[in-house]
Amino acid sequence: MKTDIALALVLIVCLGGAIGLSRGLDQHRINSSDSFAEEPLYLNGRSAKRMTLAFNGLAADWYWMRSLQYVGRKIVTYEDEHNGKFDLADLSALDLRLLPSLLDLTTTLDPQFIPAYEYAAVILPEINPNQAIALLEKGIAANQSSWRLYQHLGYIYWQRQDYRRAGEVYEAGARMSGAPTWMPAMAARMKSEGGSRAAARDMYRHLRESSSDASIQQMVDHQLSRLNALDELDTIRQTLASFKQRNERCVISWREVNSELRGFQLDAIGAPLDPSNAPYRLINNGCGADFDPNSKVAR
Amino acid sequence: MFGQTLAIVRNTFREAVRDRVLYNLILFALLLIGSAIFIGELSAGQEAKIVIDLGLSAMLLFGAFIAIFVGVGLVHKEIERRTLYAILSKPIGRGQFLFGKYLGLNLTLLVNIVVMGLGVVLALLYTTRSLDPLVLRIWPAILLIYFELLIITAIALVFSSFSSPALSALLSFFIFVIGHFSNDLRALSDSVASTPARWLFRVLYYLLPNFSNFSAITATAHGAIPDARTVAGAMVYGVLYVAALLSVAALVFRRRNFK
Repeated sequence: MKTDIALALVLIVCLGGAIGLSRGLDQHRINSSDSFAEEPLYLNGRSAKRMTLAFNGLAADWYWMRSLQYVGRKIVTYEDEHNGKFDLADLSALDLRLLPSLLDLTTTLDPQFIPAYEYAAVILPEINPNQAIALLEKGIAANQSSWRLYQHLGYIYWQRQDYRRAGEVYEAGARMSGAPTWMPAMAARMKSEGGSRAAARDMYRHLRESSSDASIQQMVDHQLSRLNALDELDTIRQTLASFKQRNERCVISWREVNSELRGFQLDAIGAPLDPSNAPYRLINNGCGADFDPNSKVAR
Repeated sequence: MFGQTLAIVRNTFREAVRDRVLYNLILFALLLIGSAIFIGELSAGQEAKIVIDLGLSAMLLFGAFIAIFVGVGLVHKEIERRTLYAILSKPIGRGQFLFGKYLGLNLTLLVNIVVMGLGVVLALLYTTRSLDPLVLRIWPAILLIYFELLIITAIALVFSSFSSPALSALLSFFIFVIGHFSNDLRALSDSVASTPARWLFRVLYYLLPNFSNFSAITATAHGAIPDARTVAGAMVYGVLYVAALLSVAALVFRRRNFK
């Protein structure tokens, strides 16, 4: 009995001591993971594929989740350092230098991992467009019947304002079996009016329809609301211009043109609201309009 | 003769259950439940793919460990406990004894893999919240994993028929790894300039098991089913390879002196 009590005491004292010591060590530990976070990957895709034996799919999943966490961690750090303000349309501010290698490794381990290519098509052009194109071309070579990869490659060329090449890629994608009927139309549109807002709207709409990735959908929604806001701003500027023509002066307050802005949601002082619910503001003494500095619409 | 073999099969299965081999299923279940719950947060819409990758990979890994570590002890334990003498004093051939032991472990692996397969199905139903077609599509890949495990068990049995359990486990594990490099062996045999080296790699390629015939995990995770010809070809290859390995094991075991 005495031995049992002694052993129990030793157990409690030692465990308590170990827990206390562990807490003390935690407080003084330098977070080494931060210093390794940007270390380049030493393993190339082909070697990794060999080393993972039959578990290459699982390894690809691991690198995929690591890519997502890498971007997520960067966004959180950026927001912490900039009072929570992060513009999804400007990913270059995040310094995602490791992302191309992570996505390349993911798709080498599992060349049929289409969502990884889609993610690359949306995120990588901001970081390194050439690597984005190379990755998508690798994806097309490994998945020759996937029209979606052509769509994404076309999107990258469109972003680079290479409308001729974008049109060619859409044309090639349209020849794939199962390609939607809008692919050839998009090819023609790229060639004739690639830089127009209508073409951009179509581009984003199709991108949203064909993607199930929430982050891609969020980015596309952001871009679509930007296009809507630009259309709205055009309407407002036309309204202000016709008011000036009629009255030979600019507006003093939004109330003067409220009746002509019936399609808009208005705030308490009659200012039209943009898609992020921030009011447009009058500039140039009421002769022009622009976004509010606090608007969340991408510019 | 069939009844005697069946008795050995039954006893080997019971022994495995008594040895708590099936406890690995608990670990597997925990792994799947954990992944099904947490992976949704991390995978950006790829939950089903990751559950399948994880489930089938764990199935192969756990199965390979059971096949190797239980397989190498099949004969050794009977010799060590001297129960082999009692068995062989009855009208049972040494080859028949080996075959019965082999089938007994295969039965254990079959139960193991079917329960694991059902676990993956449940995890899929939980993550997708619907009757996803993947629930049915994973089974051809599971069948291929089972045939790969049959070969690994036979390899373990061959080594254990003449070597110690530790060395047998090590050698079996090496063969498991090399078997997944078989395509590299073929590429090597095609690319080396020296004729003897080319022949050496070619012989090794055909002699060692080609486990790439059974690798369908990644494709299955994308919803692709291996075609019937591939599955049937792999199964026939597995049966032929196992028959050859069991013949080797029986040849060695028949000549072994237990004095």
